[in-house]
Order: sequence, then structure tokens, then C-alpha cells
Amino acid sequence: MESIFLTINGQKVACLSGDSILIAAEKNSIPIPILCYHPDLKPHGACRLCLVENEKTGRLMASCVTPAAQDMVIQTASPRVLHHRRNIVRLMMAEHPESCIVCSKGNHCELRRIAASLGVGDSGLYPMPNFPSYEQMNPFIIRDLSKCILCGKCIRADHELVVAGAIEYNHRGFKPRPATLYERPLEESICTFCGTCVSICPTGALSVKNTAYVGTPDQETDSICGFCSVGCSLSMGVAGQKVVDVNPSKSRASVNGATLCVRGHFANDYLNSPARLTRPLVRSKDGEGKSIHAPAAWDEALDAVVMKLSAIKREFGAGSVAFIGSSKCSNEENYLFQKIAREIFETPNLVTLSYDTGQALAARIDARTGGMCRVNPLAELEGARVIVVVNADPGRSVPVVDYHIRRAAKKGAALILVNPWKIELNRWAGAWMRPDYSRPSGPMASDFLLALAKGLVADAGYDRGSVEQATDGFDAFYDMISRRNGIAGEAVDAAVRLMKNQKIAFVIGADTLCYPDGAQTADAVANLLILTGGIGAKRSGLFVLLPESNTLGAMDMGMMPDHLPGRVRLDDGGNIGPDMEGFIEGIESGRIRAAYIMGENPARSLPQPDRVAAALKKLDLLVVQDILYTRTAAMAHFILPGAAAAEKAGAFTNLEGRIQMFSPVVQPPGEAKADWEILAQLIWKMGHPEHYQSLEKIRQEIRRLVPMYQGLGSHLQGWIANNPKGGKPAFAMDFPPVSVALDAAHPFIARLSAPRHHLGGGTRTGRSERVRAYGDHGAVEISPDDCRVLGLEVCGKVRLVSEFGKIERSYVQSSRPPKGMAIVPMGENQNDAMGLAGLSGKNRPASFGWTVSRVGIEKI
Amino acid sequence: MEPKPIDWEKLASIIETHRTRKWNLIPLLQEVQETFGYIPPESMEPIAEALNMSPAEVQGVVTFYAGFSLKPKGKCVLKVCRGTACHVKGSRSILRFVQNELGLQEGETSEDYQFTLETVACLGACFLAPTMMVNKNYFGRLNPTKVSSVLNQYGKSKEDDGSP
Ligand code: SF4
Ligand code: SF4
Ligand code: SF4
Ligand code: FES
Ligand code: FES
Repeated sequence: MESIFLTINGQKVACLSGDSILIAAEKNSIPIPILCYHPDLKPHGACRLCLVENEKTGRLMASCVTPAAQDMVIQTASPRVLHHRRNIVRLMMAEHPESCIVCSKGNHCELRRIAASLGVGDSGLYPMPNFPSYEQMNPFIIRDLSKCILCGKCIRADHELVVAGAIEYNHRGFKPRPATLYERPLEESICTFCGTCVSICPTGALSVKNTAYVGTPDQETDSICGFCSVGCSLSMGVAGQKVVDVNPSKSRASVNGATLCVRGHFANDYLNSPARLTRPLVRSKDGEGKSIHAPAAWDEALDAVVMKLSAIKREFGAGSVAFIGSSKCSNEENYLFQKIAREIFETPNLVTLSYDTGQALAARIDARTGGMCRVNPLAELEGARVIVVVNADPGRSVPVVDYHIRRAAKKGAALILVNPWKIELNRWAGAWMRPDYSRPSGPMASDFLLALAKGLVADAGYDRGSVEQATDGFDAFYDMISRRNGIAGEAVDAAVRLMKNQKIAFVIGADTLCYPDGAQTADAVANLLILTGGIGAKRSGLFVLLPESNTLGAMDMGMMPDHLPGRVRLDDGGNIGPDMEGFIEGIESGRIRAAYIMGENPARSLPQPDRVAAALKKLDLLVVQDILYTRTAAMAHFILPGAAAAEKAGAFTNLEGRIQMFSPVVQPPGEAKADWEILAQLIWKMGHPEHYQSLEKIRQEIRRLVPMYQGLGSHLQGWIANNPKGGKPAFAMDFPPVSVALDAAHPFIARLSAPRHHLGGGTRTGRSERVRAYGDHGAVEISPDDCRVLGLEVCGKVRLVSEFGKIERSYVQSSRPPKGMAIVPMGENQNDAMGLAGLSGKNRPASFGWTVSRVGIEKI
Repeated sequence: MEPKPIDWEKLASIIETHRTRKWNLIPLLQEVQETFGYIPPESMEPIAEALNMSPAEVQGVVTFYAGFSLKPKGKCVLKVCRGTACHVKGSRSILRFVQNELGLQEGETSEDYQFTLETVACLGACFLAPTMMVNKNYFGRLNPTKVSSVLNQYGKSKEDDGSP
């Protein structure tokens, strides 16, 4: 692109051809006021506030939509420009209600700021406020469209950034407003309450519904969202040591840009929940001999914890002590925690709750790809021309990933789905293969994926050069795949046509291993990635939709039974600890006598929660370090109050492999402490020579021991590294046939999946006032076919019964699940849905894991 | 009286002929409007689905153009001209007269779905002022007697399709 030169306010400036006058001015630090322009949105030219004067022609023009031209002479603040600009603002003000004092947009209102800077007070015009609509029945967003200036930013954000299509201009002349279909309230539309439009709206027309605090925060600090594995950059508004407002961070290098999802935007009010732990608590007896949790001093509590843990280790051996780390805690914390387990207690018993629903899958794929596919920037997903989504509902689990896919699809990327149930992305699907797990013979997801590989090989549609160069064993793979009796069909053929000779981005759901053919599915996806030359390529990658903010980091820090820090796999002969089920069995059998749980609530989040709770009760010693008084904490002998991400410093590794450093926005409540400080004190008290007085000291040690974490540091972002030794991807060859046995008493598949407003089991989101006010969204979705067979009306109540437990729920007839499958929302109702699933999962072949279960359905 | 029930099959077949061609939104809406006399609100979702748009976007287009209506209209749509030339020639009284005769205000439709009353800015037939249109037919040099006879002409023949 060539440079052009023009004059702005008498100053000679340069810009690129194609730049608008506004951009040219911005590049040269010449301010022009704007209202409808946003760097992430297509210029719209609606507000006319950015008008400038062309000195040569005398024309006034909107600088955001006028391209700069060679030798232009522009005035941005001539008396004429200012006169018109003021008039534009006066006209806006004349239409605007006079409610600035109580407006919840407060000092975020750009209209007010611009009016003030232009010296427009009273408009001096006849006030003609319009449109009385005021809407605030939902607990997230207030719409007061009388304050709308029709800049169209909300609509463009809704269409261009989150690609929801919930709102659009309605009518014309004086009447238009951003409207939902049939002008219904937001909660009756397809709006996902992502709040992107709210943050981007320059006026009080769209604002956050706050119950506790109205007004402008005292200060704003950036942080990282502590919910899902996207790790969005947040700007948190603080008033009086409380987080009262959340917006997308203004940082241009963030993964989320101007978007967020309903959890990050609205559910962080859980930070101010009365259930927060504020001081150490110790189990003791009250005057009447009833067991209570009594407050204790930190030193007292920590000394007692150290003493009791050591005593149990001395008496019953190293294997009697167990540690559950957390995908919600930082890299530094998980590093210290595994160090305590491995080095100080010499126990192999360490695991996180995301082992079965994410980490085991990520580790498997890492091994298959030789550690050469660790970094997967979402920008490559958005740039991809072909995207294959397997066993996932990204719109609910990781909404910001979903926006990337939608934007790609809108730009014309081909979307291929291998998913049992219908998701919102189906709207763009070029091919949809629908696995069926309710019948013994499938077809299952892995069958489809193998058929795709067979099709690509048969049509010579794979990347021969890169395959032969980068991998061994292609010939054997070629033979194996060609000889398979692949399933055929229109969808498979269509998908092969779309995938042929393309670089492809693969997206795989975190709980893929919960399906009977999960391991085969993961392997088949890795094979396709290798086959299409996607490793290390642009517009490609393998995106594992991990459940929580630091699922990947916890794994990289070795908070896993079978891996040391840096994804160093322990050999089979080595000292590998049990998975989660083995863990609970260990407690049940009396082998494990003490557990230290950091930042997890297994008595709510795990399958068979009552079995888990009964086991935890059996322990001689249960230490829980957490931020909320959870069901698990209620059973503990010692409760140590930790801190949420917003209250401490640390680093998370998101699903892309991006290491994101954060620093405290507020102090932890009461006497609570950053988790790494608690662990550092414990280590010191246990007589370990290392005294971790600063985060940097932990980071130094990680950088020294974990080569892939050189990017961890004091700057804001870094990336993990691919296998430093240079691994070689290898085709998976072993695809034994899988079949699910029928079970007459439990003929349906229940697919447990969290709705968008909950993260996983909902321990934190369930403590958000807004999410609570949103009400019960726990209805089970049942297909029309099954409704007919079961004699169910359009809606009502059912009982779901599995081998492990039963729940009662309302249900709705829905076209999302296929025949034979019911979608059961997690998180709602104290997460009772987990009662349907069995703890044994991943390691029992051809069975269902934690989020998929076989059930019977009865009408009640 | 209810408006004519929508012939869903017909609607579906119209939508089918335009499927996946995004630029076909306006022609598709025109065809629906033409066939049913209005755009049934329930049709916006299937239309959006077929053209891979969001229903709210379809609604935005429907409500933008005066030519599309989301409400069923009467068999006979009266457009009384309120343009300058007609105004000078007394179109205000013509409108009042029509309003009284039909018992309708602007934008309203009679209960039996026989008449819809609308006004327009200029029918482009100023030399005939004051003017009005009924469906596709022009009537000019109006006076109350003439208006009455036009209304009778349309009002009496409820069985036919609206042509005199
Ligand atoms: S609601 Fe806000 S963002 Fe949307 S058009 Fe109105 S002023 Fe602009
Ligand atoms: S909250 Fe999100 S989905 Fe809803 S209208 Fe705004 S941008 Fe669209
Ligand atoms: S929950 Fe995930 S997608 Fe939502 S704001 Fe937080 S990090 Fe972003
Ligand atoms: S900022 Fe240019 S017209 Fe609104
Ligand atoms: S003003 Fe009535 S036809 Fe032109």
C-alpha cells in the first residue's frame, strides 16, 4: 500500500492510501470526536460528529467514512466545523431525556463527555424526547431507548463481532430504534446477554443492571476472566474495594477484543457474595457439643494443618495423603501445589477435577502431535477457510471461541459439524454428521472422522508434501485407512469435498473422552490435522475447548497424576497416581486418609456427588482452600480462605497456549490471602529451604525447570512453546471397533451440558446475584420423537433415572437433541444433574464418562 | 371476522424458490406481500432461515419499506392523496369524508377486512387532483358524490377480488 500526504490543521501528515481521514488524523495524534466509529466495526457514518472541513472545496464531511486523498487540506476544528458539530450535539440533546444525574452509564457516557467538551449545556432547543420504551425485566441489561442516538454500534457489534443477529434497526423516519424480532424484550429474543452491545453503547441507552451500585467506579483495572479457558481481558471497575462493573478491556492485544460473554460480563458479581470466605476456619465444637467452624488466626490454622498432614504421612505413609489442585488457580499456585505433593509429601496422589474433562484429552492430543501443536491462536481459527467442529457446543461452553467461528463462517469459511445435537452453528453448517450413541452400532463420531480421512486419502485431497516430511508411518496409515470399511453418505461426501486440499482448523469439545469412542475420536482428529498438513500451518490448528480458565496451565504445571511440569509424561512403570475415580476409591478403601483440596468443589462438581461427599466425610483430615463456603468446604476440618483472580497476581494459560499475567484489582476480602501466599507459607512452615516471598521467585523456578514456559514473566502476555526437543507427529493406527451395549432400563442418553450463564457445576456462577435472578433455566430438552414415544406434552415434568441416581426436572420439547438423547443443563438446582453420571468413565472402555450417561425417562 | 388464514404451503413454496440467495430478500418479500396482501409476521423466521440471515434483520427490512406491511390489509386498499396539489383542491375534506363513510382512521383496516385506509404524499396524478387510489385503480377530480359511488362500487361486491 502506498503512502499519501495531506495537510491536517496546517500540519503535513502521512497515511496509507485507503485510510480514512479519521485514521490519518489518529495516526498523527490529531483528535477528532467520534460517537459511532469503533475500530473493530465497519465505519457507518451515522452520527456526523467526526465532521471535518475540506479547505479547498469548503465541503464538510464525515471523516470516518471519507478516504484521505493526496494533497487534501483538512481542518478538524475550524469555527465552521465547531459550529456544526455543536449543532449536531444540540439536536441529540434536544431528543435526549434529562436524566444524566441518575443515568447508570455515569461517566462512561460519551455523549455527555463530548457535549461538555464542546460547551453544549442546555441545547436551547425545544425538547422532543421520544420513545418511552424502558426495559429491565432481565437481570443483566437495561434498555432505555429514549437515550438512543442511533449510532448503530450495538447493532453492528451484534452482527459483526458476536454474530448473533438479535437486534436490528426497525422502522424509519423518526421511529427507528434497535429492535429485537417482534420488538419483544431481550429475554424473549435470541440475545445471549453477552453484553457486548452494552459496553460499546456510547450513551445510557444500554446499561448494565446493577443491584448494589449505580454510578461510575472510582477506578478501573485490567484483569483476566477467571471463568472459561478463553481468558478474556476484562476491565474491572472498582468502588470502595468492591468490583462493581466489568467491561471488555481496552487492550488491543486481547483475545476477546470488544466482546465478552454473559459470565464474564455479568456473573463476576459473585465476588461480592456473602458466601465468600474471609478468615481461616477450624472445625471445633460449640458449647453444646455441636460441630461448628470457628474462626482462627492464620498461623494457628496453618501450623495445625502442617502438623496433622505430617502426622498422617508419618503414620500411614506417603500414599495416604492426596492433593486436588485447580484449573481455577494460577500457574504459580498449581506449580507450588504439585511441588508440595511430589516433593514434600512424596505422594503420587495429585489430580484436578478437569483431568477427565479436558486435561487427559489435551495430553493425548499433545502426544499424538509430538508436542508440535501447542500454540493455537484463535486468530488462525477466525482466518480458517474450513472449520471442523467435533462434539462441542462452543456457543455455550466458550462463547468467545464461538464468535471467532461465526465470524469465519460469515466471511465464507466452510463449517463442518460432527455433533450429536444441533447447536447454533448449524445455521452455517456446510455438512453435518450426526453420531448416534443410543444404538449399539452408532455411527459414532470416530466413524465419521475416519470416513473423512478415508475420503481425503481416496481423493488424494491431503497434503502429501508435508505429511511425508513431517511424519513417519504414512504408508502404514495409508494402507490402514484405505482398507477400512468407512461409512458413506451425503454428509461425508459433502464434507470431503469441502476439506479437499485445504488447511483446516479443528475444534474439539473438552469432554470428548466421555463418549465411548472418545479416545478414537481424539486420535482421528489428530490424524486429520496431520493429514491435511495443519501442524504449524496458518489458518489451521487444533482447538481443545478446555473447561476452565487455567485447565491447560494446571496441566502444564504438572498438576496431573501422569505428567510432571512441562508435559513430561511419566512412564507406565513410574509412580503414577490414580485418576479421580481411583482417588475416591482410595478414600473409600481407607488407603487415602487426608486430602488437601485447593479451589475445587468435588461434592458438587463431580459425578455421583453424594458418593463423593460420603467419601470426603470419611477422611481423617480434609483441608479445603477456597474462596466460597461450598458443600465441600462445609465438610472440611480446616478452611483456608484464598483469593479470586481479580484479587491476586498470577498467570493463566488459555486454550490457545497464551500465558496471561494479571495483577490484583482489589484486595482479597477480610483476611483472605492469595493462594500462592498460603502455599508459600505452608512450604516454609514445613521446613522446606525455599522461601517463596514473591511471585517472581516462583516464576523464576518455573522458567528454569519448564522450558515451554519461558514466556511466563512480568509482562502482560507470553506464549507457551512447542516441544523444545522437536517432536514428530505420528498417525494413530489403532481403532478397535467400539459398541455400546443396550440397557433396557436406561434406553436414553443424557448429555449433561452447562448453559451459557453457568460455568461447569456453577459453584461460582450460582453465587452471582444476577445469574440467580435469571431464574431456573434447567429444563431438560427432549426431542419431539421421544416426547411422542414417552407420551409427553410440549412441556411438563419428568424424572430421569440412571444407574447412579435420579433427578426431577421440567422439560421442553426441543429440536436440538436427536432422537434418543436428552440435553440436561448442569449448574442449575445445586448441579443435581451430576447425580446421573458415574465417576468411572474414561478408563472403562466403551462406557460413558462424566458428562454423558444412560438414563430412563418417566413422565410425572 | 378473521383475516384469511395463511396458506403455509404456498408460503413455503415461495420461500423455496429464493432459498440461499441473500440478495433475494426484497423480491421474496414482494412476492409474499403480493400473494398474501401483507407479510405474515410468522413468515419472517422461515424467510431468515432460508436466506441465512437473522430474523431481526428481515424485520428491519420489512419495517423500513412502506410497501411492506406486517398487518393484514383489507381487500380494497384506499390511498387518499395528501400531496400539495390535492391539498389545494380540498383533499382534506375528501379524507374526512372517507373516514366518516368507512369509520376508519388512517392506517386502519375494517373489521371485515374489506377496506384499509391509507394516505400518500403524491400519487403523481396532480392534474386530476384531488385524487385517490383503490388497489391499482386511480380516481380523480373527486367530490363526495363521486367518492360515495366509488366506495359503493367496492363495498357491495364483497365476493370478488377487489376490482370493480
Ligand atoms: S442503543 Fe446505544 S449503541 Fe445502540 S444505536 Fe442507540 S446509542 Fe447507539
Ligand atoms: S447482549 Fe450480545 S447478543 Fe444480546 S443484543 Fe447485545 S450484542 Fe446481541
Ligand atoms: S467466561 Fe470465557 S468467554 Fe466468557 S468472558 Fe470469561 S473468558 Fe470470556
Ligand atoms: S464517527 Fe464518523 S459519523 Fe459517527
Ligand atoms: S398531490 Fe395528489 S396526486 Fe400529486
